[in-house]
Amino acid sequence: MNDAFGNALSFRYELLLPEIILAITAALVIGADAFRSELRLGRRILPWLSVLGLLVAGGVSLLWIDESSDFQLLLTIDNFTTFFRVLFIATAVFVILGSHEYVEKHIGHIGEFYALILLSTVGAIYMAAARELLTAYVSIEILSFSLYVAVSLARNDRRSGEAALKYALLGGVASAMLLYGLSLLYGVGGSTQYAEIGAALAGGAPGMTLPLLLGLALIIAGLGFKASAVPFHMYTPDVYEGAPLPITAYIAATSKAAVLALFLRWFSGPLLPAIDDWQWMIVGLSLASMALGNLIALQQHNIKRLLAYSSIGQVGFMLMAIATISEVSASALLLHIGGYLITNLAVFTAVIALYNRTGTEEISGFRGLAQTNPYLALVITAGLFSLAGMPMLAGFLTKFILFQSASQGGYLWLVTFAVMMSVLSLYYYLKVIREMYLHQPDGDPSRWRLTPTGYLATGVLSLGMVVVGVYAAPLYTMADRASRVLF
Amino acid sequence: MIPIENFLLLAAVLFAIGFYGVLARRSAILILISVELMLAGAAINFVTFATYLDPVGFSGAVFALFVITVAAAEVGLALGIVLRIFRERQTVNVDEVDSLKW
Amino acid sequence: MFDRLPLPSQFDRIIVQGGIAATLFGVPVLVVLLALLIGNRIEAPELVFWLDATVVLLGALGAVFLRNLVHAALALIATLIGVAGIFLLLANEFLALVQILVYGGGVVILLIFGLMLTNAQDDPVVTDGSQKPFAFGIAAILGGLFVAAVIDANWGAQTLSVVPFRDFGARLFRDFLVPVILVAVLLDIALTGAFVNARRSSDEDAMVPTGQDAEARS
Repeated sequence: MNDAFGNALSFRYELLLPEIILAITAALVIGADAFRSELRLGRRILPWLSVLGLLVAGGVSLLWIDESSDFQLLLTIDNFTTFFRVLFIATAVFVILGSHEYVEKHIGHIGEFYALILLSTVGAIYMAAARELLTAYVSIEILSFSLYVAVSLARNDRRSGEAALKYALLGGVASAMLLYGLSLLYGVGGSTQYAEIGAALAGGAPGMTLPLLLGLALIIAGLGFKASAVPFHMYTPDVYEGAPLPITAYIAATSKAAVLALFLRWFSGPLLPAIDDWQWMIVGLSLASMALGNLIALQQHNIKRLLAYSSIGQVGFMLMAIATISEVSASALLLHIGGYLITNLAVFTAVIALYNRTGTEEISGFRGLAQTNPYLALVITAGLFSLAGMPMLAGFLTKFILFQSASQGGYLWLVTFAVMMSVLSLYYYLKVIREMYLHQPDGDPSRWRLTPTGYLATGVLSLGMVVVGVYAAPLYTMADRASRVLF
Repeated sequence: MIPIENFLLLAAVLFAIGFYGVLARRSAILILISVELMLAGAAINFVTFATYLDPVGFSGAVFALFVITVAAAEVGLALGIVLRIFRERQTVNVDEVDSLKW
Repeated sequence: MFDRLPLPSQFDRIIVQGGIAATLFGVPVLVVLLALLIGNRIEAPELVFWLDATVVLLGALGAVFLRNLVHAALALIATLIGVAGIFLLLANEFLALVQILVYGGGVVILLIFGLMLTNAQDDPVVTDGSQKPFAFGIAAILGGLFVAAVIDANWGAQTLSVVPFRDFGARLFRDFLVPVILVAVLLDIALTGAFVNARRSSDEDAMVPTGQDAEARS
């Protein structure tokens, strides 16, 4: 310790390599954007540079399969981290691939857009990797901050700034609540290390009942906000509507999955001994989210708002697995998150492609899509059916395994309710599908085609949706291996 | 010696006052100020626990440093957005910023 | 915009009003505390704590209750400097220093600039009357719960330990290296956010085309 540098030089920096690559790519993207005219670069270079960086980072992160290495007790690189690294990087790749045409038309600051996606991926990954509260907190803030900014990037759209303001102010309040909860947890556990907090809580934390309970409530409130679970969802529809479409897709995918990864890390590890204190809160959140999300989605006629409420309902389903936390439900949740991300991105990339053509977010804009672009109509139909949980698609199988694990955990009544809500959700998805197939197109009835990258993104994602739905074994094995390191 | 409860009570009251401000104030900048109060409460909590309960590791003190940093960054970010809103609509009152239904 | 800045005379008025308020609240508190100190009911550090806590809480109340926005921001300064004092009482000089530098020197100035640039002087009172009792109720319940939790709990240790500068730095850069790196990313994002929003976009002043870039965008 006397040597000022000896210690710092012996750290295993290579464990941080994928995120370092992402951050450097982000800096390169901003630089390339700023000096575009001097360097005579086309605008197309930015998405390709981002995708290249993401792919390299994703490849590098595969180096640590089946390892469990620590960086200074701050992060752990194990199968769980690798699972989410690959998942988040893939999400970012598909969001960028599916949206570069949209971005050129509707985003004011293109370089910043791609850089923010890259940097927020760093935050999301470290939310899954952290094994210490401070690292987790700063990662949460990285993800949140980049989303506040990304939401505000739409050009010539007053809703964008308004959504960003609401998101930033309410997000700041949620962060403050989370932070106060963390401070109480630190007071009870005496450390910011997950392992030591877990040990302290396992010892019963005598004389600390009320601070622990309040701390847990505040933490769940703060994280519930970030995952947009009812009753902390107020901002969700507005932010989803005001944000540029690719960012809406990104929030619905990465932001939610990252919070659930954090939930898994916390509630399967350090907070598991206090399960009696928090289980009922999570069950309540889950119940309220399922009910409210799906019921309000019935009345929406803007596709972004519809998907916002549907995603609130989806969070309700996912929280069931947290409430009944066990090795089985953790792996079921990971599988479901994988299936949900693929499905959600398929729907969103298709909606983005449609928006590029029609320029409207109303569901009436889907009219007659089956005639003008049967391929896209098929992708959207498959995606929405998968979200509703129809057989042969990813959504059915992953949801089935999720529900099964939750009912094994002793919450049969909750699962019954979830099944009912799932059936209900079919109704509003069918509303969209009916517009596409049973109505004549409003405007130009001629056929149109997607861009090549549009075909690539939607094609790969719909293929993934079907493959997971029919043959989930590979993803299930990965989820299983990832969840095994948690307990 | 000052009892630990004194500091914790101060933090709790500060947080509650900030929370009241968030709910009652309507100007975006005043809501930001209220959030700062809440964060100050959390920071006091962290430092208190660090000095009283975690004297060897004092992770809480390091945490408080990051809280201060993040809070400052948040003010900068949010004020940027507020200025943009003001440019677009000549108001920073969150009740009047309502082209999206809440 | 200079006509909107408060004139020196207004500042004088603020100072006088603030001085009167501080005297009205401060003197009784000081008297009570001194009486307690002389009667050996409390020790000197605790006296300082209560004085400081008074500053913090009065500032906080001012920040959420004062109707003039600039006054509220000034009250926030009192709170934040008071919090620095609390950090000193907790034997952490470094944090006290950072608190004053970052808040006193940066954040509050930023907030006041924000208020000035958004016509704070022209804004009418902006507190929603119907929502106030509801807000007060919720905050009171929350505060009550926290206070109950603090009093109810048995915190054990009652010794206060000093954190030296050197140990703090070593801990920060050796044991918390990842958060330090991550916070750099975070500040970068905040900078980007402030820049893209506060800057006028090229669409807004489209009257002034800026060469190649404007052509590319159209």
